Amino acid sequence: MSLDALVVGGGSFGTALATILAGMDRRVRLWVRREEQADEINRGHTNQRYLPDFELPESLQATIDLQGSLSQCRVVLMSVPSRSFRSVARQLGDHLRGDQILVHTTKGIEKDSFSRMSEILRQETCVLKVGVLSGPNLARELMAGHPAGALIASRYDEVIAAVQALFAQSRLRVYGGRDVTGTELGGAFKNIIALAAGVADGLGFGDNTKSLLITRGLSEMARFGVARGADVFTFGGLAGIGDLMATCASPLSRNHKVGEQLAAGKPLEEILSSMAQVAEGVPTTEAVYQQCRRMGLDLPIVRAVHGMLFEGWSPQHALETLMGLDVGRELAALRFN
Amino acid sequence: MKPGDKHRVIAEVTRRVLDKHASSPQVLEQALFETLYLERQRLEKQRHTKRRRQERARYERIQSEALRAPAERQRELLGTVIRAFCEEVSGHFDPRVYKLATRVIPGALNLLLNALSPLRLLQELPGGMSRLDEQLVLEGECDALRKAASLGTTVLVPTHSSNLDSILVGFGLYRLGLPPYVYGAGLNLFSNKLIGFFMHNLGAYKVDRRKQASVYKDVLKTYAGHTMELGYHNLFFPGGTRSRSGSVEQKLKLGLLGQSLDAYIHNLRRKAEQPDIFVVPCTINYQLVLEAETLIDDHLKEVGKSRYIIEDDEFSKPKRILDFVQRIFSLDSRIHLVVSQPLDVFGNRVDEQGCSRDARGRPVDRTRYVQVDGEPAFDAQRDQEYTRELARSVAEAYLRDTVLSPIHLVAHTVFEWLRDRNPTLDLYRLLRTGGEFESMPLIEAYDRLERTLEALQRRAGRGELRLDERLKTRDSVAVMSHALQHLSSYHRRPALVRRGDRLLHIDRNLLLYYQARIGELSPRLGGAS
Repeated sequence: MSLDALVVGGGSFGTALATILAGMDRRVRLWVRREEQADEINRGHTNQRYLPDFELPESLQATIDLQGSLSQCRVVLMSVPSRSFRSVARQLGDHLRGDQILVHTTKGIEKDSFSRMSEILRQETCVLKVGVLSGPNLARELMAGHPAGALIASRYDEVIAAVQALFAQSRLRVYGGRDVTGTELGGAFKNIIALAAGVADGLGFGDNTKSLLITRGLSEMARFGVARGADVFTFGGLAGIGDLMATCASPLSRNHKVGEQLAAGKPLEEILSSMAQVAEGVPTTEAVYQQCRRMGLDLPIVRAVHGMLFEGWSPQHALETLMGLDVGRELAALRFN
Repeated sequence: MKPGDKHRVIAEVTRRVLDKHASSPQVLEQALFETLYLERQRLEKQRHTKRRRQERARYERIQSEALRAPAERQRELLGTVIRAFCEEVSGHFDPRVYKLATRVIPGALNLLLNALSPLRLLQELPGGMSRLDEQLVLEGECDALRKAASLGTTVLVPTHSSNLDSILVGFGLYRLGLPPYVYGAGLNLFSNKLIGFFMHNLGAYKVDRRKQASVYKDVLKTYAGHTMELGYHNLFFPGGTRSRSGSVEQKLKLGLLGQSLDAYIHNLRRKAEQPDIFVVPCTINYQLVLEAETLIDDHLKEVGKSRYIIEDDEFSKPKRILDFVQRIFSLDSRIHLVVSQPLDVFGNRVDEQGCSRDARGRPVDRTRYVQVDGEPAFDAQRDQEYTRELARSVAEAYLRDTVLSPIHLVAHTVFEWLRDRNPTLDLYRLLRTGGEFESMPLIEAYDRLERTLEALQRRAGRGELRLDERLKTRDSVAVMSHALQHLSSYHRRPALVRRGDRLLHIDRNLLLYYQARIGELSPRLGGAS
């Protein structure tokens, strides 16, 4: 096999991962859907749409030839938004083989089926050795070469070892874990809290408020995750609190931006149409909210964010609803469930 | 098993198990003394017989020598213990006996059931033994099973709810024209001497569940795996034991299942002519279960800590088997044996040509899964996960191919009503007291039954489950009457009887047991516990 890895998806995160690998002389290729984008990356060494301020390494080559690239690599890193995840996975499935490793980085949940991305990979490809790479990894910071950490979660030691080996000695420290469910749910769920944190910032609240949102958001994330079969400890690591802190604090986060603009009174449709990238928190809120109703789980922050996004709640109303709830013991729900 | 193969199997299994447990002097010592300790413990609890005395003396001899022996001698001693286990486990399959059993009397099952009390059974059964043949319905992917058996080695993994299962499957295989399968049968199946004789000779090997040493368990697994490699079709129940709750098994044991993958990799490595191993799930669907009362009692007493070995159940009472068989005749109570689509050892479906297919139906090169740098190789952690994938596919097939009958539906209807009417009672109190109402209005039962039936029919239409002929119609009166006939008879206490326009629930444990079959398929009810 002539490639160390193929990165599927030329969005900001896929490009950042490919850039890190190319920068370490790994044999990597970036698959993108559009020929113009491939040309731009190969000739101009830029990705203007997703990472306008960065120059890409010359050794990073993009391609639109999926079959050819897949036939040359052992590890595939898939970084596409949740809404197109299934169709791209199915395309990959036409060419993948059982000895390959397939890792995704998508922090979302399929809305209608409530499938996690690893479940979709299982349904759409023959690959069994799948995993998820997640954590506090804002693409622009990775591009700037700031030190960061991520979690590769897989049931297969081989997957963990392969991804760790890919990023060894880079500025991205990759830790290993087994809890695929928790890692995927943590990554998706934190976007809901990031929306709420954006609203809080937009309303001009300070760090106390944000900290309240983060810790109670983490509690909701853990309750939801445990009810879906996750390991509660996962939420205390990079894919849980780690990701939550970065997303809620950073103005670079897309979901945070959506929240800020909601607080300013902009309608959701207008906000989304003005963004070049996908804010995964929006469909995830709908999916998680519906799932909570089915499971009989009461998660107030999810409820409030859903209200703001889809039911016409004003940020003030959402805030008053949250603040008006009865207060119980802080860790009761986690301890006794 | 061919006589020559038997010696080869014993030698190879002994070698593999010994290699595993003698990887270092510390591991060897641990394995040897643990085995000796557990074996002597087991013998302490057994009845005093000549055989027990001999076994005990043998273990004591080995123990006293092992205490002073160097590692090399300890290895030899462990080897003798392992070899003795292998010899005890290995079957005495004799093709001549098999031929006799299947030719002289019509149907191996009839023969085996006759063996319980031959004269009386022959005299008492109405219509003669041939009727039993008619009561066993073989359906599903029977041709695919036959085809798979011609393309590679098949491993049949049925659901398990009664001790009659292995006999029925054996008979089903015979009717399909397949050779006998190698399978591990609990010692209690050998307790009836005549059944034991035929069990042994029809391909069964003995499993002594009282033996707890890990070395012994490895002998059993390796024995099964190695026979697969040699092309002997295998049969085992991945649920591990009979379903106590009555639900369709969803938590499967991975140990034996994993042997199919091991055998496949061994075959690829030695470039065997027919390396493929196909795992074929199969469901055995009784309307009435012979041992239902004992099983559900055991489930309720020990949820999560089942007794595992039941030696005093209905199967050990020939009169109960006779009653059961008679009931099957008189109630026209068919037993459905549904063969599912074969799977490869990674859980992918396998088509008629023996080609693996992914969930979208695209062909999959299965040899790739175990390749490391282009060569087939073992990887314990990876292989364990692959086996988990296989177990998941088997469990899904069980749900899809379970045949629901009027009995399950009516039990489900009444039990749901009981739960709805008594929301504050926990399961155990509900079972004991029956709650506030001792009977259910028939009209409400019909209403609920029709709604559930409609939902089940929709799901059956989508291929998510199977319904027996009676549930394919909309005739709820016939469904109710068929179920009541069964639920009010056979078991010592009736589960449900009709009194005028009401249904009286009497043995709620049995209702819980029979409804559990639907329970796994109904998101509302969940499992039986």
